[in-house]
Amino acid sequence: MYDAPLRKTDVEANEIKISAKDVQVYYGENHAIKDVSVELQDKTVTAFIGPSGCGKSTFLRCLNRMNDTIDICRVEGLISLDGEDIYDKRVDPVQLRAKVGMVFQKPNPFPKSIYDNVAYGPRIHGLAKTKADLDEIVEKALRRGAIWNEVKDRLHAPGTGLSGGQQQRLCIARAVATEPEVLLMDEPCSALDPIATAQVEELIDELRTNYSVVIVTHSMQQAARVSQKTAFFHLGHLVEYGETSQIFTNPVDSRTESYITGRIG
Amino acid sequence: MPVLWLILIVLALAVAGFIAGRLRVTSAGAERPHSLPNYYGWNVAMKVMAPAFLALVVWLLVQPMLVDRQVTAGLGEGAVPEGSTLGLVMSDVRRVAGGLDTAVSRGLITAGDADAMSAADSDVRSLLGEAGVALGSDVSPEVLEAAQDYRAMNSAGNFWRSAVVILLAVGGLVWGVAQSNRDFRARNAVETGIRMILLAAASIAILTTIGIVLSLVGNTWNFFQVYPASKFFGSFTWSPSFGGGSELGIWPLLWGTLYISFIALVVAVPIGLFAAVYLSEYAGPKMRAWAKPLLEVLAGIPTIVYGLFALLTVGPLLLTVFGRDGLGWMQAGTAVMTAGLVMGIMLIPFVSSLSDDIINAVPQSLRDGSYGLGATQSETIKQVILPAALPGIVGAVLLAASRAIGETMIVVFGAGAAARLSLNPFDAMTTVTAKIVSQLTGDADFASPEALVAFALGMTLFIITLGLNVFALYIVRKYREQYE
Repeated sequence: MYDAPLRKTDVEANEIKISAKDVQVYYGENHAIKDVSVELQDKTVTAFIGPSGCGKSTFLRCLNRMNDTIDICRVEGLISLDGEDIYDKRVDPVQLRAKVGMVFQKPNPFPKSIYDNVAYGPRIHGLAKTKADLDEIVEKALRRGAIWNEVKDRLHAPGTGLSGGQQQRLCIARAVATEPEVLLMDEPCSALDPIATAQVEELIDELRTNYSVVIVTHSMQQAARVSQKTAFFHLGHLVEYGETSQIFTNPVDSRTESYITGRIG
Repeated sequence: MPVLWLILIVLALAVAGFIAGRLRVTSAGAERPHSLPNYYGWNVAMKVMAPAFLALVVWLLVQPMLVDRQVTAGLGEGAVPEGSTLGLVMSDVRRVAGGLDTAVSRGLITAGDADAMSAADSDVRSLLGEAGVALGSDVSPEVLEAAQDYRAMNSAGNFWRSAVVILLAVGGLVWGVAQSNRDFRARNAVETGIRMILLAAASIAILTTIGIVLSLVGNTWNFFQVYPASKFFGSFTWSPSFGGGSELGIWPLLWGTLYISFIALVVAVPIGLFAAVYLSEYAGPKMRAWAKPLLEVLAGIPTIVYGLFALLTVGPLLLTVFGRDGLGWMQAGTAVMTAGLVMGIMLIPFVSSLSDDIINAVPQSLRDGSYGLGATQSETIKQVILPAALPGIVGAVLLAASRAIGETMIVVFGAGAAARLSLNPFDAMTTVTAKIVSQLTGDADFASPEALVAFALGMTLFIITLGLNVFALYIVRKYREQYE
């Protein structure tokens, strides 16, 4: 137990970024998320783990209202970002998504050049006044995405021509280019090989200094490596939420223990 | 033996073969055969039908040609009177032969009489008149003789046809049943057979296309023999007159075609594309459920109805605005604009339904990616979805263009018949297709340049649309992988 010291001081200093209270999600008749209440901290990596179909991706997509694009999906309960209800009628989901960026399971670069992929967000949100500003934003984002050195000589080559790992880092760079406050990652490494995974994980750790990061993952090692807080979902319930080291070494709930030791899932 | 009987006999043999093949393996013993019993049945049935029907089809195609050639050769020089052609005499021969057949079947004469009668001692013309076959002139001895030859050869041919087809069917039956033992791989044999059938279907489609092209090429060649290609492609006047001295320049027609197609595309592409974007991105499932079929109904309207719409509604409507009482640009209801607008309406469902499929094929992950960055729906469509779908949309537009170029009825009704080179879209013009119709309808002499020009026009049109289609396919293929 002493092998993994708790990073208590580190975590407790951070304030609450996103708070969810009694969230219910329905897909048509199907009750996908049941009574989930959770408080996600700023400048922290939070991992959502759980077996397939347990609702962790669904819950993640509620945090930036991506579920709005699905007709049959209905969300109840309260989710607030910095104390403001994001499902309030006055909230523009488009503005919200600029604040709460998202990276998807499969790398999805647009069929445009690498430069245009990254410049897409800044352009639509008017973050750059001049071409030089935009160049700077793109370079900064690509450096943050740990891909600058690989693509700096071919910024105008199509983004779809990169390898899978590069594409995913490009998508992360694209997401950070809009200067979000929260970054949601839905199994960002599931399509990547171990080397690209290591690069992305390193990147997530760096992103923690600026953003609140929420990552859904199927790999428990990955959750243990990159996150400070872990939430375990099972059958639509949030079973347990706490310090990563505590969840992995001394889980409170028996279901968490069974999942971590590989008995259910 | 009539062909229908022959077909029924072969089918009966096939059924018998199916049952025999099945029975032979099922009754052979306890050990399981290689394939399911039905496969043995189908194997025999296929072996009965395939060669027999193939032989029948080939025979039906080849026999008339051979008989014609034989009879023509037998006619000799003297049989063709002054002012007639061999073709006319041969059609006389066929009519007389047909008339004799009718007379025999009605019992007016016996088959022996028909073979033995001579022009000198019987009135063939009145005899055939009684049988219901009217002839323009008395039957000359040569023609009667040729007709008798023709009948004799055909009846011999028909006898051998029946014999060969039935022999092949029986042979196939025996062969197939002999094969049907437990170790025979009937399943694989049937698989091969099915592949052959599919291959045959595909080849028929391709061969037909080749046949059409060849017939066009042949007639186009004939046209350029009687009319210089340099004038066809070099002259800016189109004034055919069947009396001779016509000028057949393609440019006025080509200009009309391209002008009308251009207006049609200007109407159809934006409207069709926006409709597709609305249907695939904005419309709810309920709206989509009835709007899409409704739009596709528009595609099912026959073009002649669109032509009437142009003639009766759109033309007069335009005339009130742009005609003598309005702006004074338009002389009559038929104009490039009328035809172009209506053709554009016709193409809207074509463009929208193709584009809709293409837009739906853009992966959802790209949309999610864009929404996840805080883009609005229209930003996503403009900057991500349309660029990703662009090659397909370009392909759809090019396909629509080749339809516009080949469209006939709307032009006939809507655009007028005057071949002229003008920039005013309210002038009447005509197109290549409309002129093909007008050159070939009526009693055209198929050897005159005025009729043959239709084939040259058709060939030009074919090459243009073929080029467009190839180009469209090339574009679609080249850029297709971009978002996969």
